[in-house]
Amino acid sequence: MSDPIHAEGMEKISTGIEGLDDITAGGLPLRRTTLLMGGPGCGKTVVSLQILVSGALRHGMAGIFVAFEENAQRVSSNARSFGWDMGEMERKTLHFIDARVRSDVVKGGAFDITGLLAGLEAKAREMNAKVIVFDAIDVLLSLLDDPAAECRELYRLNEWLLRNKFTGILTTKIEDDLPGTAQRYGFMPFMADCVVILKQRVTDRVAVRSIRVVKYRGSPHVLNEVPFTIGPTGVEIGSSSGVHPEPQPFDERVSTGIEPLDAMLCGGFYRGTNALITGSSGTGKSMLAGAFIEAACRRGERAVFISFDENSKDIVRDLGTVSLHLAAHLASGLLRMEAVRTESASSEEHFTRIKRIIAEHGPRCVVVDPLSALARVGGGLAARAVAERLIYLCRNAGITVLFTSLLEGTDPHLETTALHVSTISDSWLQLSYALENSERNRALSIVKSRGSKHSNQQRELIFSETGLTLTAPYTANGKVLVGSDRAKREKAVRSERSPMRHPIETKPGDDE
Amino acid sequence: MSNSAHSGSHPNAGHVFRLYLAGNAPNSVRALANLYTICQKYFPQSHRIEVIDVLKEPLRALAEAILVTPTVVKVSPAPELRIIGNLSDQDEVLRALGLPQKENA
Repeated sequence: MSDPIHAEGMEKISTGIEGLDDITAGGLPLRRTTLLMGGPGCGKTVVSLQILVSGALRHGMAGIFVAFEENAQRVSSNARSFGWDMGEMERKTLHFIDARVRSDVVKGGAFDITGLLAGLEAKAREMNAKVIVFDAIDVLLSLLDDPAAECRELYRLNEWLLRNKFTGILTTKIEDDLPGTAQRYGFMPFMADCVVILKQRVTDRVAVRSIRVVKYRGSPHVLNEVPFTIGPTGVEIGSSSGVHPEPQPFDERVSTGIEPLDAMLCGGFYRGTNALITGSSGTGKSMLAGAFIEAACRRGERAVFISFDENSKDIVRDLGTVSLHLAAHLASGLLRMEAVRTESASSEEHFTRIKRIIAEHGPRCVVVDPLSALARVGGGLAARAVAERLIYLCRNAGITVLFTSLLEGTDPHLETTALHVSTISDSWLQLSYALENSERNRALSIVKSRGSKHSNQQRELIFSETGLTLTAPYTANGKVLVGSDRAKREKAVRSERSPMRHPIETKPGDDE
Repeated sequence: MSNSAHSGSHPNAGHVFRLYLAGNAPNSVRALANLYTICQKYFPQSHRIEVIDVLKEPLRALAEAILVTPTVVKVSPAPELRIIGNLSDQDEVLRALGLPQKENA
């Protein structure tokens, strides 16, 4: 009399949803009952449908979808809208049952769900179905209008699933702010072997979806709440299993597009790493990003430029003023530019979209300008997780990525903590204004550059019609000279031709 | 397989009911008895009760969207009417059928 779970080990059915298999350590329990709970509109139907369709598509596992709330026709056309091939498959391996309770039905005494189960059992046998979804089971149960009877029928259903060795997926509505409804179906989680809660919250006016495996009998699982999206191809779950394969590091350097900066970094960024450029408004972050991308295209590398809240055309025009010409690369298809409206979606949705763009275009270099835009939508924590995952995604794909981040105050250390990406970025360049003699000059310094020697000196960043450049630093009385001070000094040095001139060379090894 | 319980003298009876039940389940047995009593009392001359056992004809029950048992469908006269349950809630059943409530008291 051994418990089949322990006797056979945990058998699972892959959900076919990226990320869900991760957080459930391989999928849902086979021949057991899984409960999907969540408020209205949080994605229960789509998640359960996708699991069913994927089981049919990938594993040839026939399934039945019993729709208690929605028109079954609409549910199956919903699946088609996600591009899941339903034609032949639907006839053979998927069956949709419209089980909406007619509104004009009269209740004239006690009843149970034996009729439905008998019908389903026969249908399942006929088509050899293994997976059965009961979508919005609460609608059927509420017909009983008696907590004891609801509990009894739910147990009947569960017993029936187990007896027939079906993999059952039950979805039910709960409202987290109405404790009554949670209590009402409080017994449900005890019955199921796996319980998953879906949520949809509005943070900063943006809807954010999340999923959490609350319980998984006999299996490890990720306990955390994980963000997910419903995109054009279905559900995508941002896995947070925390395990990232370590990619092979590259020795190759990638040019920043600015020669003197490459020199400061001993040749540029390492291939496959990420660089962060921080700076307040107008310090030239996008210009630096443009230089990096333009250089990539000149080398013949595919590249992606993602900008938040700025038109691609404006960026191309602005970069043109400093001799960075992207139009030809856009035309040749080497470069893909995507302008994204920050407020149009949650950070998770932005992530999914960026991921798709990267997958479609296959770039070697990517710019996200500014990454800090993500922090504006859907809450800082979610945005931070997204930024991290974006970094890992690029790192694993060997993509060199450059992020910009807007500083709105004066303390760079305070500001960069908004997304905390500076701690996981490989290189960090800080742009600022150097105010001297009522002049405002742009200055660049390298805060860090992992695994690489770099200059520790602040340089002046100069934009001109011929391009971007950095000046060699001039020092006087222990100060780096910028702007007209530097010009004066340069002139003086030229006229003196004196050996007093001290352009400070990049001294490998003098950092940190 | 449906077994029809004919009652009354007219073959094309005025009241036709279809009762979906689940074998000998208590609610099913009670529903049949209750329906029979109602028919005897209100339509003694003209009624027909068709009994469908969902355990024997499960696919038919599914096709006819029978979710719960017992379910009674009043087929005629139109309009069609569905009553779920064992019909013990007589007030509700009679009201739904448009019959005078209780009792010749």
